[in-house]
Amino acid sequence: MSLFDYAQHGYRVPESVVKAQRAAWQKIAQPGSWWTGAQRVEMARLCRQARSQRNDPPWLRAQSSEAGSVLPDQVVEIVRRVSVDMHSIDQVWAKECIENLGDAAYVEICAVTVCITAVDSFAEALGVPMEELPSPLPGEPNLFRPEGTSDVGAFVPLLDPFAGPNVSRALSLRPDDNMMFHALVGSMYALSDFQDLVWEDRPLSRPQVELVAARVSSINECFY
Amino acid sequence: MALLRVSSHAIGDEADLTGAVGEGDGGVPQGAELIRFAECATRGNEDLSEARKALQAAVGLEAFVLAACTVGIFNGLVRTADSIGIPVDRGMVGRTADFRQDLGLNHFSGSRNTELSNEATDTGPTAIPDLFGN
Repeated sequence: MSLFDYAQHGYRVPESVVKAQRAAWQKIAQPGSWWTGAQRVEMARLCRQARSQRNDPPWLRAQSSEAGSVLPDQVVEIVRRVSVDMHSIDQVWAKECIENLGDAAYVEICAVTVCITAVDSFAEALGVPMEELPSPLPGEPNLFRPEGTSDVGAFVPLLDPFAGPNVSRALSLRPDDNMMFHALVGSMYALSDFQDLVWEDRPLSRPQVELVAARVSSINECFY
Repeated sequence: MALLRVSSHAIGDEADLTGAVGEGDGGVPQGAELIRFAECATRGNEDLSEARKALQAAVGLEAFVLAACTVGIFNGLVRTADSIGIPVDRGMVGRTADFRQDLGLNHFSGSRNTELSNEATDTGPTAIPDLFGN
């Protein structure tokens, strides 16, 4: 059975979406620049676990102590906050994480977490089972940190100069993961037609899509 | 929310931005069903199954899949923005001042990543100029 086979559940999901989600699964299993494939898949598992418990009171949530052998406790906490407790993320907390782990390593954790969140949120919205997480691939992180970044007021340096919205360069300290995420964005929302205010070839109008987007953003108290 | 407003204007309509904070139907077709679906899917609450059925009945399966895509990717996008602490793009603070205040968005936790004191002078070009007429 192939990955992300939505047809078996009665849904015709655009091939571009399926392709981007399959690519994300492959990428998450690979070593990144700062974390191994096993560590990245464990971040994905923790994100999924946190999301599944997001409506439970804290005292009923399962502990993630078994992650300790693969991931430092601080990484476990970053994944949890990004997954389900974004309101508690501020500059002071992020700065402490970045001082301990490094800025690009922090970005890599965030990148894996947001990609899993996007894919799993989609499955949950559709009402289909979540895809089994990939098996980690062997290898060591390549310790690559891109040049050409500067402080533009975010928690970490971003690619600069840059012709586009800040969200498109938010993960630029991890170029591969930024590409992985933006492949998801391009297929699930907009890429080449982002500038078009009127979408005539889609089953929902642009304002209908933007209403859903705005409601999701508002529930998450995202100011951006 | 800015994109909801400008895309609505582009087709000669006036979206009701209070739909974004859970009031009304947003002033777009099938807005009530879209909002309810977005809420239930994002919160993962027990009404999601009913919300799915209602939206599918209102817009059809193909459009339902697109709405689910939007829910999924925006749950990722908001986390990207707030985990990295990116500020709102130059030129957008001034352009959104009117509804941010009215809708209470300035009280959102993510607002601490953006300097709001310069909104009166933040009228320069945006990073997505074509959308906003620059």
